[in-house]
Amino acid sequence: MALPLRYNVRSVLIRWRSTLSTIFGIGLVVAVYIMMQSLAVGLEKSSANTGDPRNLLLVRKGSTAETSSQVTREQFKLLQYLPDIEKDEKGEPLISADTLILISLPRKGAAGEANILVRGVSKVGMQLRPQVRLTQGRMFEGGRREVVVSQKLAERFDNLGIGESFKTGGHQLQVVGWFDGNKSAFDSEIWMDSDDARSLFDRENYSSVLLRSDPTQWGALTNRVESDKRLSLSVIPETKYYSNQTATATPIRFLGNFLATAMSVGAIFAAMNTMYASVGARTREVGTLRVLGFRRRAILIGFLLEGAILAFLGGLIGCLLSLPINHYSTGTLNFQTFSEVVFEFNITPHLILKGLVFAVSVGLIGSLMPAIRASRLPVIASLKSL
Amino acid sequence: MSIGGFILRNAVRNKRRALLSILSVAVSLFLLVTLLVGLRELTQPPTDEASAARIVVRNKISLGNLLPRRQRATIEKIPGVAAVTPFTWFGGKFRDEEVMFGQFAIEPKLLLTIFGEAKMPPEQFEAFVNDPTACIIGIKTAEKYGLKLGEFMKLQGTFWPIDLNLKLVGIYADGIDDRNLFFHHRQLDEMPNNTGEVGTWWVKAASLEDVGPVVQTINAAFANTTAAVRAETERAFQLSFISMWGNIKMLVLSICSVVVFTLVLVSASTMSMAVRERFRELAILKAIGFRRRELFAFILAESFGLAAAGAVIGVGGAWGIFNHTDLVASASQNFMVLFEVTPRIMGQACFVATLLGIVASIAPSLSVARMSVVEGLKTLD
Repeated sequence: MALPLRYNVRSVLIRWRSTLSTIFGIGLVVAVYIMMQSLAVGLEKSSANTGDPRNLLLVRKGSTAETSSQVTREQFKLLQYLPDIEKDEKGEPLISADTLILISLPRKGAAGEANILVRGVSKVGMQLRPQVRLTQGRMFEGGRREVVVSQKLAERFDNLGIGESFKTGGHQLQVVGWFDGNKSAFDSEIWMDSDDARSLFDRENYSSVLLRSDPTQWGALTNRVESDKRLSLSVIPETKYYSNQTATATPIRFLGNFLATAMSVGAIFAAMNTMYASVGARTREVGTLRVLGFRRRAILIGFLLEGAILAFLGGLIGCLLSLPINHYSTGTLNFQTFSEVVFEFNITPHLILKGLVFAVSVGLIGSLMPAIRASRLPVIASLKSL
Repeated sequence: MSIGGFILRNAVRNKRRALLSILSVAVSLFLLVTLLVGLRELTQPPTDEASAARIVVRNKISLGNLLPRRQRATIEKIPGVAAVTPFTWFGGKFRDEEVMFGQFAIEPKLLLTIFGEAKMPPEQFEAFVNDPTACIIGIKTAEKYGLKLGEFMKLQGTFWPIDLNLKLVGIYADGIDDRNLFFHHRQLDEMPNNTGEVGTWWVKAASLEDVGPVVQTINAAFANTTAAVRAETERAFQLSFISMWGNIKMLVLSICSVVVFTLVLVSASTMSMAVRERFRELAILKAIGFRRRELFAFILAESFGLAAAGAVIGVGGAWGIFNHTDLVASASQNFMVLFEVTPRIMGQACFVATLLGIVASIAPSLSVARMSVVEGLKTLD
């Protein structure tokens, strides 16, 4: 016969004073675990959110990032007349030649500088990226040294408010609007006219080309481009290009897992201590239960359950502690583009579940040895004990 | 029995609990040291005396923009400049993989003038200077990939539209960073369709007093050209990299504080557990005439002892592992090279341990102070 669950729950609760610190300790471990993982999830999501499934990206053969790629004007002209490119309602082909430039700008609060990606786009650049939406101000106009800035970026760097201007490469650029990239990689960019960007930053060539084409035509189009000697470009689906960039999250995941492992060892020791103390204090109680006819196994499972309940409470506290950080926006260095990537902590239900499972395992491991000890207590001696 | 013996016996009376407490303190302190060391590695670039006289010149727009080759002549003429070399990041793939070691194009003749600290046999250096297709690498990378002298290394360009096939003629050691590969800048200069650009200029000032004026003169010399530059000392340049990491520093620091807090919490509770068990004994001690002050001292000494033992295991363990093995370097694939526990970090960890010992004894001391002798004697648990 198993011990009633209510007995275990009440046993944990009645000793809440002595177990509180253990519960809280486990809670903190879980909170750190969830926060670190949510950081990695947010970073990966910003890459996964980027790109339209109908778009193809063209970069120089051998180049692994848009920033290190070059597409000449002649090549772009050839590409414009490819038959498989979709057209908008005005009959213009949906193809944009982008110019990418890294610029160094000061962070808010004099906290040093960071590289930011400036993306010069053609007229249809916005149409090709439906997740980007202008939230305030207006779109830039070509030839006027105007830029639109991601709203999240504007919160992190100086002089990016609407109406403000900043200096780079000897030129003053005017901010005329803010956009929202819907948690994509575009949230880390400044946009301007592609030809403006080329002339201001003294670039002969564009960096990359983005075009829309029906996925059924991709094979033919890729063939046409990659077999053309004049082009020497490689074709990648836009979504695939960005999903390859998730490697930036790897060190954060590594750090998160390392911390979780190390801290959980400490938490297991704490849980063990608490449960041993609990067993010690309840020796007589255990003896009584045995006399009443409860089997060793029932006692063992009972104490394991108590450990699990204790840790579960800790896990819940940990989840609550970590929740306020959800959707908090932060930034770090993207290794692939060598520029600042802005992203949000992202706590998913899956992560919460993982945190709770993690907590309960800590509880179970920590209470295993004390529970075995409790189940092996000699009945008569324990009844006699004070 | 002496007082010291009494305290020691008390501390280890419940051996399992003492061990668990010590180990949990040890694990937490180990973690704290690891984080502090990692933070130091990320935020404090390795430097030496020679680096104080080195100046890095990059494009003012950002490091991602290149500089025209013609600037070299102008910089060389500036008084106080001892030597100038182009220094260009290649960033190629090796054996079809993205790699953790840097590949830089430089002017081999000036390598020793500007970067004097690395050690290399003179005949290897000579071979490097004389062969435009040669390269040298640091010993760490050579060991990692099992590279031998005379071997050819194929690097596929990603940033530069060129593939290199370089002959390994030298392996250096004892530099600041024994991972990097160096090759002749000529390889890039003679590339088809070359536009004559370099990544950065590295300048050696004739003396430390020249550094300030040289930096200013270089900045002013190109101020109104199409390629304005930012010249800064090597240290300032390295620090600008760290600024790019963004909020990582704050993140690690806040994790450190959570770790410390958890540590205090857990040990404090263990200590009060130990005292609660001995409530009756403490009441007897009080009854036979021990003063509160002495009881406090017992508790403090015990908690202090546990914390100290934890510190010895945790901090000592970290020191042993990080400073005497290459575990971290190999686990992080040479991303973290130094990973060294400094005396300062040890001091910080020991300070936390001391604090822990004191804080953990507060709660039990309070309950002992409040306890009436009669109540305590009555306690059974």
